[in-house]
Amino acid sequence: METFEPVIVAFCCHYCAYTAADMAGSMRLHYPPNVKIIRVPCSGKVDAIHIMKALEKGADGVIVAGCLEGDCHFKNGNIRAAHRVDSVRKILGDIGMGGDRVEMFTMSAGMGERFALVATEFTEKICKLGANPVKSGTDMGMHQAAC
Amino acid sequence: MAGIRSALDLAEAGRDVVLMDKAYSIGGLMTSLDRTFPTNNCDLCTLSPHLSESGRDLRIELMPLSRLDDVQGEAGEFKATVTSEPRYIDLAKCTACGECYRAFPEAVRFTPGLDHRAPTCMRYPQATPYAFSIDMERCDNIDELVRICPASAILPEDTRKTRTLDVGSIILAPGADLFNPRVLDTYQYGVLPDVVTSLDYERILSASGPTKGELLRPSNGKSPKKIAWIQCVGSRGVQKGLVSYCSSACCMYALKEAMVTRERFGGEVETTIFYMDMRTAGKDYETYLERARNEYGVRLVRSRPHTVEMEPSTGELVLSYFTYDGKVALTERFDMVVLTVGFRIGAELTEMASRLGIELNQHNFAQTGTFNPVATSRPGIYVSGLFESPKDIPATVVQASAAACCAAADLSPLRVVSRKEEELLPERDVEGEEPRIGVFVCDCGFNIGSVVNVAEIAQSMSRLPQVEVSEVVGHGCSRESIEHIQKTIRDRKLNRVVMGACSPRTHETLFQDMLRKAGINKYLLEIANLRDQDAWVHSDRPRDASAKADELMRMAVATVRHARPLTDYHLAMNKDVLVVGGGVAGMSASLSLADMGYRVFLVERSGKLGGVARNVHRTLRGEDVQAGIDALIDRTEHHDRIQVLKNAMIVDHSGMAGMFKTGIQVAPQMFYREIKHGITILATGALPNRPKEYLLGRHKAVVTQLDLDGLLARDPEAARGWNDVVMIQCVGSRVPENPNCSRVCCQAAVKNALRIRELNPDACIYVLYRDMRTAGFDEDYFRKAREQGIIFTPYDLDAKPEVEPSGDAVSVTFTDPILRRRFRLDADCLALSTGFIADEESTEDLGAIFKLPRTPDGYFLEEHVKLRPVDLPIPGFFVAGTAHAPKTIRESIAQGQAVAGRAQTLLARDVINLGAAVAQVDGTKCAACLICVRACPFGVPFINEKGYSEIDPSKCHGCGVCASECPAKAIQLMQFEDDQIMAKLEGLLERIS
Repeated sequence: METFEPVIVAFCCHYCAYTAADMAGSMRLHYPPNVKIIRVPCSGKVDAIHIMKALEKGADGVIVAGCLEGDCHFKNGNIRAAHRVDSVRKILGDIGMGGDRVEMFTMSAGMGERFALVATEFTEKICKLGANPVKSGTDMGMHQAAC
Repeated sequence: MAGIRSALDLAEAGRDVVLMDKAYSIGGLMTSLDRTFPTNNCDLCTLSPHLSESGRDLRIELMPLSRLDDVQGEAGEFKATVTSEPRYIDLAKCTACGECYRAFPEAVRFTPGLDHRAPTCMRYPQATPYAFSIDMERCDNIDELVRICPASAILPEDTRKTRTLDVGSIILAPGADLFNPRVLDTYQYGVLPDVVTSLDYERILSASGPTKGELLRPSNGKSPKKIAWIQCVGSRGVQKGLVSYCSSACCMYALKEAMVTRERFGGEVETTIFYMDMRTAGKDYETYLERARNEYGVRLVRSRPHTVEMEPSTGELVLSYFTYDGKVALTERFDMVVLTVGFRIGAELTEMASRLGIELNQHNFAQTGTFNPVATSRPGIYVSGLFESPKDIPATVVQASAAACCAAADLSPLRVVSRKEEELLPERDVEGEEPRIGVFVCDCGFNIGSVVNVAEIAQSMSRLPQVEVSEVVGHGCSRESIEHIQKTIRDRKLNRVVMGACSPRTHETLFQDMLRKAGINKYLLEIANLRDQDAWVHSDRPRDASAKADELMRMAVATVRHARPLTDYHLAMNKDVLVVGGGVAGMSASLSLADMGYRVFLVERSGKLGGVARNVHRTLRGEDVQAGIDALIDRTEHHDRIQVLKNAMIVDHSGMAGMFKTGIQVAPQMFYREIKHGITILATGALPNRPKEYLLGRHKAVVTQLDLDGLLARDPEAARGWNDVVMIQCVGSRVPENPNCSRVCCQAAVKNALRIRELNPDACIYVLYRDMRTAGFDEDYFRKAREQGIIFTPYDLDAKPEVEPSGDAVSVTFTDPILRRRFRLDADCLALSTGFIADEESTEDLGAIFKLPRTPDGYFLEEHVKLRPVDLPIPGFFVAGTAHAPKTIRESIAQGQAVAGRAQTLLARDVINLGAAVAQVDGTKCAACLICVRACPFGVPFINEKGYSEIDPSKCHGCGVCASECPAKAIQLMQFEDDQIMAKLEGLLERIS
């Protein structure tokens, strides 16, 4: 069986998480290439619909990454993002997909290592969860862990 | 580098600059380097945007091939005589096509590197000015040369020209020479081809170098397996032809070369550095050293090899050395030996100094003082970079901005002259056109190209709908590529551009500017981050990296289809400045800005100005610190344009660059006051460290170096009664709790030891150290201390000294590695070099109030460690002094002046550009539900008289929270519209579902 390579979308805020991801590059840290970053000005800009669409179109996992609590360049955008991620997770739970495919992380701009760690651990977690059931059209919860 | 930075700062601040260089293109030494520490980035990528910036800036006149002959008059009204050598090429006409070079390769100049005829005949491929230079004496057929040039740019009659310029101030940033190790016959440089200098090695690693970046032994063209670096070649020596000072930058660049070698050529190449002391004292340099040692497996041997010989049968190089315990003579074989050479001042500069009448120190560097770190002895003439003292690039950039600040202060107050507008092509209206997308993929030298298959990516993108052009462009940020892309945009009538490049954080402005100058709106651009977020992090999995690059590019192409032309918003600039912290850095910044005519609010949390430096009495070089500080305080407190607020605390903050509002509370009444300002400077300092080690605070014989400095000033008699004095270095620094070096303690130990020796010639003084880091000219004092019988003994972290109370004295036990014995002695005074620790409490509070990032050890994190060392990542914020990292008083003052030099670039503007990322409401969709009104963190949206939500673009911060909360999707954040985000997802996921 072919190894499962999950597709993970990471919405990263410009001021912290995206900068941390660049920092991981400067430090030449390695993390799985499954993570694809979409830059947003603030994690508070990430709409529930963006997360849902990503999953609907076949992403296996979604990361929303913002600044550390209290460090948001826009005061509290990251807190709003965290609430929104919570509500999306609840909806995903309700429809039987499980909320674990979506997660909020916070980090400061200087935390290149944390970004690499988050990317690595989240990818491992999604590997364990297996492919997004939307893709195969199988019933929710019938997917198998493949890696 | 220094000259370019000063020129850019001054030009941005509205001053006219003549930038002259003796070479035929600007850029100096840095353009020859492969990559730079501590980011290990390619230099050309970081410097070339600046070079082309300075090439473009209409306030900067470039005078290559020029020499400063004479300066008459005084500060503010100099007459400078400049001689320019003939270039034989008309810069306005030369397109750098290279026809002349192909026909007359011998007549073209190229200097750095192993082979003087490198693949390109310009100094480097991104040269500014972008044109050739002809050596007429070596051209045997001038008529043919003239004929062959398709641009008719050859000027055979070109002559030397002399001009007299009226200038207000002068900055000298001529750099320095590198030591030529031919004089050291034991290393056989110039005899054995595999013995190279560090600059030769940079050229070998460089993509534009003689081997095109392949690591090959010069002797036989094979790959080396074992490479040795020998540190301090020509520096820290007393023999004839050597210099006694330390060249400061070499430890770091040798580590960089070894790390880059390990990274690029894998574990196959062994790298060994032979060193005397590892001097990694800059910001986060210690962690760089740890990474080199632990992650990259760079081997470090404390020894100075005495001889390099060749084993004739194998061609290997045999290094002979003693280990630092002095017992064992060893030999070891290597394939290549890199001599780490330092800086020195050549005859050309000493002659210039005497023509200009500026004083030099004993080593021929320009003489400066602690309280005027960039001022030469002649008023109005400033100095920065290597000519001031040996230093690395961040320190050079700081001095360059400091020199720009001082130079501007001598000029007449800035008249408001509108910036000369470049003639831009009118912006082409692309509304209604089908997207015609141009895709350009940078290989960025090895940075992207060695991991990602860029040619394949370009091919694959060319098959996407609406992509008109898709190609690889080398260094996309180079002047050559930018001109090529602009031409392609015009010729192929492109209306959308995708760059596969590095981070938009660093290069978006440059590429936006490129689009605008090509005649299309700058927002019709999308950048895929193929370097920082792909090639660099997936170098271990090149196939996956290529696949990811393909996906990132598809996402960018899908997004750019939805890009719309946007207009930037502007607002009036508030020209007042808030400086937080009244130490030497904060006072220097305040005074520099106030002298330029700006109003400054200086907020100090304690009741006194002066900061930590108040406790220092003399510098290592003997300057009176107290007198200097008193003068600074006096000027600061009495300056018309500086308002000092003591016992004051920052409590809240809002706004953006040009329109900040900060609330402060002032003790004892704690009344609240709001200050409006355009710029914020943080100079909050660090704290003297007092770790609970070695009985500090529990025994009266144990003091810190700072305590000892005060004691020796107050009560010098005390030292006369001491028999044995011990100093322990790196107490509480270079340890896991505080990983970096505190930078000032080695100098403090040498200073205090010499002072005790002066007071009490009979005392035995021991300094227990890990690496003595007396960089630059401080090395002379380290040598003096050794000559005076002060004993320096190294210790390791696994065999730290032990300290116990012993009556009025303390007993210190330590290992002497040469005698290989434990020693125990009773010290009448034990001085601990405890250095600095970040002021976590205040940087954490201020970091939260101002939303500024910090390093893991609690210092403020700058925008770019090398090129923007005093800019913070949020526009309008700057950092100076020990709030940035531990540093000396001299460096703090230089940074204080440097922030003023940087701040003037914003303060000189009358308007601030707010960008275009603002939220816009579609009134027809708005249901006036008030969600945006409640959600906005800044209270901007309101329901207007027409009954729908309205957002003032000049107040909008562009976070997009309202857009994501709006249930009717009536709000869109420009540049990040929903359809663009959806398109990104489509681009990524289209092939899955």
